Amino acid sequence: MKGLYLIPPRTMILVACALFAATGFGSPLWSSGPDAPAAKVTFNRDIAPIVYQYCAACHRPGEAGPFPLLTYQDVKKHGRQIEAVTQTRFMPPWLPEPGALKFADERRLSDQQIATIRAWVDQGMLEGGPSDLPMKPNFVEGWQLGQPDIILKAEKPYMLPATGGDQYWNFILPVPINETRWVRAVEIRPGDKRLVHHANLLVDRYGSARRVEKDKGSGFGGMEVRIDSEVFDPDSHFLFWKPGTVASNEPDGMALRLDKGTDLVLNTHLQPSGKEEPIQPSIGIYFTDKPATLHPMLLEMQNDGALDIPAGAKDFVVTDEFKLPIDVDLMGIYPHAHYLGKDLLATAELPNGTKKTLIHIKRWDLNWQAVYRYAEPVFLPKNTVIKMRYVYDNSEENTTNPNHPPARVLGGNRSTDEMAHLWLQVLPKGEHPNGSDPRMVLQEAWARHEVEKAPSIFESHYNLAAMLQRRGAMDEAIEQFQAAVSIRPTDPVANNALGAALLAKGDLDGAVQRFNVALASRPDYFDAHYNLGNALAAQGNFDGAVEQFGEAVRLNPEDANAQANLGTALAQLGRLTEAKSHYEAALRIDPTNQLARENLQQIEQMTRGSPH
Amino acid sequence: MLVATLLQAASGPEGPSPAPARAGESSSSTAKSVEALDLAGKAVNPFELAAGKPVVLIFVRTDCPISNRYAPTIEGLSQKYSGTAVLMLVYPDKAESSANIQKHLQEYGYKIAALRDPQHALVKLGQVEITPEAAVFNGKGELIYHGRIDNWYKEFGSARSAPTTHELDDAIQAALNSQHLAPASVSGVGCYISDLQ
Repeated sequence: MKGLYLIPPRTMILVACALFAATGFGSPLWSSGPDAPAAKVTFNRDIAPIVYQYCAACHRPGEAGPFPLLTYQDVKKHGRQIEAVTQTRFMPPWLPEPGALKFADERRLSDQQIATIRAWVDQGMLEGGPSDLPMKPNFVEGWQLGQPDIILKAEKPYMLPATGGDQYWNFILPVPINETRWVRAVEIRPGDKRLVHHANLLVDRYGSARRVEKDKGSGFGGMEVRIDSEVFDPDSHFLFWKPGTVASNEPDGMALRLDKGTDLVLNTHLQPSGKEEPIQPSIGIYFTDKPATLHPMLLEMQNDGALDIPAGAKDFVVTDEFKLPIDVDLMGIYPHAHYLGKDLLATAELPNGTKKTLIHIKRWDLNWQAVYRYAEPVFLPKNTVIKMRYVYDNSEENTTNPNHPPARVLGGNRSTDEMAHLWLQVLPKGEHPNGSDPRMVLQEAWARHEVEKAPSIFESHYNLAAMLQRRGAMDEAIEQFQAAVSIRPTDPVANNALGAALLAKGDLDGAVQRFNVALASRPDYFDAHYNLGNALAAQGNFDGAVEQFGEAVRLNPEDANAQANLGTALAQLGRLTEAKSHYEAALRIDPTNQLARENLQQIEQMTRGSPH
Repeated sequence: MLVATLLQAASGPEGPSPAPARAGESSSSTAKSVEALDLAGKAVNPFELAAGKPVVLIFVRTDCPISNRYAPTIEGLSQKYSGTAVLMLVYPDKAESSANIQKHLQEYGYKIAALRDPQHALVKLGQVEITPEAAVFNGKGELIYHGRIDNWYKEFGSARSAPTTHELDDAIQAALNSQHLAPASVSGVGCYISDLQ
């Protein structure tokens, strides 16, 4: 029951770029050693290499930058502005401090490069000799990885108003596939890139976002999207777009699974430009025939419950820490706070006492939030403690404070609420007993941590219960489902799950009661009708079972088990002709359905020679 | 009273420092002689058009994202003071064609009149340095305010969800009330006009 975010990883080429930058690419001659004559800084020799590498990817037609920076004239026209925004490190946007761990495609100017730009402006923005000008970068136009296999386009554009504060809009993009497919790459085209600050693509396998959308295809507002998943289905990918993002293939073995009926939900952060603008994103999907063999997962640390920030507080601290139950490789990291976030730090304390800074953002800026991928995976052994420490500024000094004068702010999903989240993409390492899925070990430890930290939160109990149920720890699972239901007594999903756990334990009355609560909340809930049918059949109430299986079949005629069970309940009532037709339906859908085949044979024997 | 408002804005704890005195920068231009171009290329003097009303020049570029975001605010002020003061957009980029400016006006829903100032005569007269900044002249053609429109932006990339001070609106009110002020200034955040020389 958590938001899942995906991002295509960076290519090796970009990693190479980052190293190239670190070796002094574009270093200025004017500041070279004492023996060198003080040559003047020129665009062609000193500035163009910096601009080409760090600016032009976005500052070119069709990209996010509001004006192009491709030629001497382009750059000169914004010279003092460029000087100012590089001095404050507003541009190029890159929030993390430099540290021992390197990120892929790091877009951070060195102090020396910033000084070179200042010197160039101060010296009168000289053009320099034509022979000094490097080759212009060669940008791929159109889809970055060639023509996608499928292009999804938002059904209706969102009209971004001309003025006002930041806007958050979510587009639902159904994936038109009839069977499970594997995806090697996804390219997000968020619409007019000048207006989109960032976009997160979420995989919604159970239509949970559709329930929020009022008019089909129109999307819905909101800064945070909740994607509900009723089963443990750890998604492994960050799919994230920010200005300058280059689409790339997932690493070998890490294809993304898409099933029939899956929706992609694009969560966009938009900024009005001064005129009304239509935003209509599209998504390019590239398939592969290689299923995933490596299964990274997203670990979500958070402490929203601790966010109760008094008006005027300048340094409000929120922390969370989690001890890893298994060895992992850390692949990427995504810190997230809203407008009051100031200093965001994540560290890892290894069992041998080593401390690593995973990410440190000293000047958090929601507008430039991003997923950061490590240039190399960071190995974190079992028992490593991951710590997050976020500092919030709710004073008048924080320009982006949404309240004027400052007001008390609590944790929550609206942009005026605050959040303290840290997502980590980890790849479990090593062998695990009985071939168990190490993600389950991790997920259970995480869910237990959430329950300990926030015992009043519904999701904490539900998530832990689901993991316990999955590994067969049914008594504890029932306890946790009951805790979830006591927090949200009419929640259909939790009542259905609790009912299923009680049914497995043989508590038929308890199960029936829970399924009825689930169906009172969500009358068209297939799973609850199906489960209630089973519970009633176990009680010997076949009339009731026929009614429930009948409803399940009406809701989903393509479910072979529901068809087969309806057949059995009908057969129990002696309605053999009807039973036969539902067994036949089950076998049409799934020719391997053993129950339907055997029961059908039995009915055929019984009815042989009868007038029916 | 307004003097106090402006001075407070200029020296308030959260506002930028007041711009250094720019008295020495005033050019030989005067309100009476200064000329810019209309979009047909014809020389015009905004003060002659104003015929004694306050003149408000708001400097913008087609490629400045911050001045573009101000379009609805600027147009709103133009509507608000329609008939009582003469508000005009000024495009100081000499490389910008009239056709491009027309397109820009249309795209951003501007109905306000626009001038080109390729020689920066109005820039000098109004003592502005940034797009968007404004210069406010009273009915006698005296500069009473130059600088930012409001405090929406604190610096590049740092904008409030909504402005909390409204220097330009206050200054237009002062001009209409014939208040005689020493020119007050609060620098804007945006694109440097000097980059266009």
